[in-house]
Amino acid sequence: MDKNKHLDSVISTHQITKEETLFDKYVKKKNEVKEALEDKYESDIYSPFNSGSYAKNTAINTKFDFDLVSPFKRNAFGCSGTLKEMYEDVYDFLYEKYKDVAEVKKQKVSIGLEFYADSDGDVIKIDVVPGRELSQDQYKENENLNLYVYYKYGNIDAGSERIKTNVKAQINNIKTRATDEKDSIRKIIRLLKVWKNTKYNYPTKSFFLELITIKAFDNKTITGSIWEKLETVLEYIRDNVTKDSFTLKDPGNSSNDLADTLTSYEKQQLSDDMKNMLDRIRDNDENLKTYFPENSKFKKEESKTNQYGTNSGMPVPPPKLNFG
Amino acid sequence: MILKIEKIGLSLEAELLNKLLEIGKTHYQKEFGGFLIGYYSEDNRHLHITDTVLPKRYQASKYSFERSTEGIENEFTEFYTGTPIKIYIGEWHTHPNNSPIPSATDISAINTIINNKNTSIANPVLLIIGYSKNTVDFGFYVWFENNLYKYD
Ligand SMILES: [Zn+2]
Repeated sequence: MDKNKHLDSVISTHQITKEETLFDKYVKKKNEVKEALEDKYESDIYSPFNSGSYAKNTAINTKFDFDLVSPFKRNAFGCSGTLKEMYEDVYDFLYEKYKDVAEVKKQKVSIGLEFYADSDGDVIKIDVVPGRELSQDQYKENENLNLYVYYKYGNIDAGSERIKTNVKAQINNIKTRATDEKDSIRKIIRLLKVWKNTKYNYPTKSFFLELITIKAFDNKTITGSIWEKLETVLEYIRDNVTKDSFTLKDPGNSSNDLADTLTSYEKQQLSDDMKNMLDRIRDNDENLKTYFPENSKFKKEESKTNQYGTNSGMPVPPPKLNFG
Repeated sequence: MILKIEKIGLSLEAELLNKLLEIGKTHYQKEFGGFLIGYYSEDNRHLHITDTVLPKRYQASKYSFERSTEGIENEFTEFYTGTPIKIYIGEWHTHPNNSPIPSATDISAINTIINNKNTSIANPVLLIIGYSKNTVDFGFYVWFENNLYKYD
């Protein structure tokens, strides 16, 4: 039996989670802001791009972290225009446009837009990072940008002109890693929820499973196939949840420790369940199906062969490939 | 194994196809290629190929082409976070002075895609552009139900 194939099927046959809906909302908002900037600055701006490094500890619950880098042309603010003028101009524009629907804030190298909660209670935050090419047309060559670094001392604004060499290259690594990692976290969480739903009235909350998965990713190196990742997270829960020092902070409210939502007995039960599950899957791969069943209703539909297969997450091409 | 496939559809603009051909021709007599970007219809029966991403790093000869994703990883994320969400769906390359029939190397490339843990694409598409001075012939292939099929 191919454990990874089975787990992929479990993930794709269970329904879309709230996180994905929220992710779509972010993408929509991001595109709105991007279009607004393009409409306003027209030929003075290159296409703004998303450099979102989704903040790890908040990747699942309500907060994705989207950066929108806005590359301006050298003379967008006149040939003697300063970076400060660029920063202020973008701030003024965003403030006027969004002041009624969002908190618009000056931040270190960006302008923060925090949209007021929508009808689902979701808060979307997008950071616009204005940057300007160093000389006319140079951005097209090497994508280097100057950023304005904004400081605030007490109530006094202060700033400096700073060169950031190649924002794009700097963020690429983080971003790809964060995207991959977020995708893995999402898959593992979905699997744990599938497992939880095989049990009647299990005391561990879904939110607890989400946070502990993120914590496992923060504390351990989690790589390999989907089964290897799942295995590492299960081991992490098994080994850590019963420790006295174990905490699980709610990112939305740090005084809220989710570890307190389980009694010591329930934590022991969770740890034992992880141990049993790991032991039994090691005895026999087939046992994986008991803990992580496919959604049979969905599966039937999928077996029609006149469809493309479902892909989970962002497909990444193999780094090197040969053709003849 | 190559078979005809009629159950699932594929479409792309002639403009994109022409663009790929023109780009390919600038590398004559060497092979050249890149990544295919697109999205599936809601019922998953149809694939629209919409864009290409070109490699920054590659090595090519008359009969071989090796591309790398180095330096362009970001572009895939850009497509993935756009609207509609577009993904990497396969690869294209040219066969200068040759027919668009997959070589043994091409088939093993498809296998590499299928077996790559990070790729997570069920049905990768392979487009081969066979061309010479006066002719051009496109071959579209898709990995489906454990076989490489040719689109009509
Ligand atoms: Zn070939």
